[in-house]
Amino acid sequence: MESVLLAVLGVLALAGGVLVFRCDSMARATFALLLSLCCVGGVVALLGLPYLGVVTVLMMIMEMVVMAVFMVAYMMNPAGLMPMSMLHNRRGSLAVGAGVFAALVIAVFLVPWPARRGGPPPDTTVQVGRALMGGQMLTMIVLGFVLLATMVGATVLATRRGRYDRFGDALDRRTPRDPVGGGVGR
Amino acid sequence: MDLTALPLRAAAARPHVLLVTTPGGTATRLAAERQLRLQDLPQARTPADADVLLVAGPECRGLRPAIDRLWQSLPAPRARARAATPGALPDALERCRAELAEPRGLRHAEHRHENPAGVGPDEGPDAEFGNGRDERDGDGGGAHDGHERHDGHGPDGGNGGHEGHEAGEYHGSHDSPGSHGSHESPGSHGSHGRHGGHESHGSHSDHGDSGPPWGLPMAGQGEDRDGLTLDQLHVPLGPFLADWPDGLAARLTLQGDVVQRLEFERPPVGGGGSCPPFWGEPWARAAAGERVAAGEGARRRAAAHADSLGRLLAVAGWAGAATTARRLRDDLLDGASSAELRPGVRRFARRVGRSRTLYWLTRGTGVLTAEAARDAGVTGPAARADGDVPARYRTWLAALVRDVDRLADRTPLDPAEDGPRGGAADGRWPSAALVRVLPGLLEGAELAAARLVVASLDPDPDELAAVPREVDA
Amino acid sequence: MTETAAWWSLLAAPALLLAGAVLAVAGDALLAARAAGRPATVRTALRPLLEVPRLLAAQPRRLPAADRLLWRLGVVTVPVAAVLSALVIPFGGTAVADLPVGVVWFNAMEVLTWAGLWLAGWGPNAAFSLIGGYRFVAQGLAYELPLMFALLSAATAAESLRVGDIAQAQHGLWFAVWMPLAFAVYLAGVLAFSFLGPFRYPAGEDVAAGVLGETSGVDRLLLEAGRWLWLTSGAAMAVPLFLGGGAGPGLPGWAWSTLKTLAVLAVLVWVLRRMPVVRADRYVEFAWVVLVPLTLVQVLVPALVVLGR
Repeated sequence: MESVLLAVLGVLALAGGVLVFRCDSMARATFALLLSLCCVGGVVALLGLPYLGVVTVLMMIMEMVVMAVFMVAYMMNPAGLMPMSMLHNRRGSLAVGAGVFAALVIAVFLVPWPARRGGPPPDTTVQVGRALMGGQMLTMIVLGFVLLATMVGATVLATRRGRYDRFGDALDRRTPRDPVGGGVGR
Repeated sequence: MDLTALPLRAAAARPHVLLVTTPGGTATRLAAERQLRLQDLPQARTPADADVLLVAGPECRGLRPAIDRLWQSLPAPRARARAATPGALPDALERCRAELAEPRGLRHAEHRHENPAGVGPDEGPDAEFGNGRDERDGDGGGAHDGHERHDGHGPDGGNGGHEGHEAGEYHGSHDSPGSHGSHESPGSHGSHGRHGGHESHGSHSDHGDSGPPWGLPMAGQGEDRDGLTLDQLHVPLGPFLADWPDGLAARLTLQGDVVQRLEFERPPVGGGGSCPPFWGEPWARAAAGERVAAGEGARRRAAAHADSLGRLLAVAGWAGAATTARRLRDDLLDGASSAELRPGVRRFARRVGRSRTLYWLTRGTGVLTAEAARDAGVTGPAARADGDVPARYRTWLAALVRDVDRLADRTPLDPAEDGPRGGAADGRWPSAALVRVLPGLLEGAELAAARLVVASLDPDPDELAAVPREVDA
Repeated sequence: MTETAAWWSLLAAPALLLAGAVLAVAGDALLAARAAGRPATVRTALRPLLEVPRLLAAQPRRLPAADRLLWRLGVVTVPVAAVLSALVIPFGGTAVADLPVGVVWFNAMEVLTWAGLWLAGWGPNAAFSLIGGYRFVAQGLAYELPLMFALLSAATAAESLRVGDIAQAQHGLWFAVWMPLAFAVYLAGVLAFSFLGPFRYPAGEDVAAGVLGETSGVDRLLLEAGRWLWLTSGAAMAVPLFLGGGAGPGLPGWAWSTLKTLAVLAVLVWVLRRMPVVRADRYVEFAWVVLVPLTLVQVLVPALVVLGR
């Protein structure tokens, strides 16, 4: 039963991946990718890691919706009406794809997989938590800060208006000058 | 048979009504809103949600194409009626509901309008719903089928030839395929005609990989407030849109939902243009030399402010307070006394005027200083408020409370006293000035804020339609 | 312990959810009737149900260049996600599927409405509809993080992601009592993901009903049903998360669950008509500058309590 489900999800994930490059609309391509990623989440959950599986689905939906917004805004596919193609540099990408696939398949057979000792615990979420937050606590904290700093930095770099535009040259304006008022204190 | 009869009876028991007002139809609109409220017939926001298209007010040639296009986008089963006067309303609604309950109503769109329901007494014979009307509807039905065969990509030919003449004039203005969809957009009921023009184009082009879709040029880009250089979207706003001054049509250039440019089209002339606007009537009568009590003016002004507040609160999405405002308006027009109204009005004014949430949501939008107002010729509450949207609704509330105390005033009304939207300057009704200041206030605002600003100035469509007549005379 | 129910609960849970949604609609109709000066009778309360046959009879809508596949997909997603989210909610002592990661499941299903509503706004290819869809994404970016932290507070205090365990962990003292902020933020989140009342910004009157504007017939029925099902599901989830689940004196667990759910639902329905629509351009800043730090501190409280135990 489980292996049937696994196979179905795997095939669906692949089909979604193929669809991404067959669709001629940004919205459809994005949601085909979402289908593919959700199936991957299902595969992870079926492999006994429900937390990672469901979180994958959760994060991917949010990410893909936000991505759809940006893709539609910035790709030359106005309003999804203009047919477009997701295929670029066919030969190069074909070579890279085939190479990576071959390398992964070879790796599957070459890696000395460890044999299982004992059975899996009933709740793997705790194990995942310990694995991430036990020995790797420092890594995770540093990673978190790096990600946050990247986001803030990217936003600051992308914003055309700096604090001098908002608060005046002497930074003495109490309420910033914004095109639209925000929700807090101004 | 029974299987279809039940849902049809349900639709007839509680149809959603799309209420459309033509200039001069304010009295009918007020009666209709009251009747719909008391009978629990929800008002539809868009034609997609409506079963009944109810036109309140006299015939207006300029708006006829827009109303026809609205009717075309109502899903079957549907019914349509016009009530020129408040008296014709109950009958019109009743006939619509009877029509909805008939099983043949389910058949798509074809020949169901041999007789318009509820033609007002002053309506010319077959003025609007001639045979041509039926044929056009027949086309609409046929086009739907063709549409299916094209798997949804075919243009909705129902609009195709029909409004072609109108389409030409707007042809150049659409540089965005994205705006194409907007032609069917709920808010842009007036847009289908323009749409029609493009369709005839679209049908010539093959929808292959080459060539722009629908025969439209690529979207233009433009500078915008946030420096994102997004595609420009051209969206018509009005002439019919829920809680919008009916009949006022604007062409909007949007980037995202930020208003880049707004141009009002000439307000439609006709219909009630010849008689004074409903809200300004006591002042017009007083100016004509008739003796009008000041209390009557106060009552009309208070009711007008309650109506405006109802619209503003509805646009702000405060359902409860909007209903209260409209009930107060109806009570005022019913002739309730100051003593009866005072507690309710005070409570309402306190609740809305002191609402921190409403203030938080509207502050800083649409600032119109007294100076700018004077330069543009704006008088009345909008000029007195001297500020943003909250300043204006608080001015309305204060005036409402003050006027409710003066309902029994028997002294004669001074025609120079401010009406609900200010005083008439050199023969023009004050709403024209309100429309003049709007584009400046709206550019750079987000669509939601823009709607709030329009509702907070609330130009009266009756006055707008009356303007040219005044000037001519 | 919460146990997993028999197969027929798979049918019973959606039915219960639907019953709750019908009650909520009836309550809303009564409040609307009172505000509009109509008599508040049983007939008044049941009149909105006429929408169901009315919409079933209505002609579906066809628009030029609409993306029908994505449109339908989005419309169907909203109610389906609401029903799926209810599977992990314990009713008394039983849930259809008491997953070890129930809270995350509920959250994931709720995020599914992001995709659903964006698609429902995108599909018709109409400007106001599209704006409605985008508005939900903007609203989502504002309400989602505080909502996640509110869910996390309950999960942290119970040291489990299983909804049944969270209900069990509140023996005697409800989380709503010592984590009132998380509870309030959660309730606001419920209104936000059911896009009703002050959070019906994506379907606001100012854009002529936004995502709902172009839908008619069955499409509209599904979207409307979806938002009321979500409201009910959110109210039902508040019970195990913050109100002690089915625990209570005298009555059996299922009765307490029902009573508490209906109480939360009543509060939510009461709020619907009493506030203006909160626009995202104001709420996003409020959410990120005020609510996110506050809810972070709120998560810290149970974390410290658990550490000190």
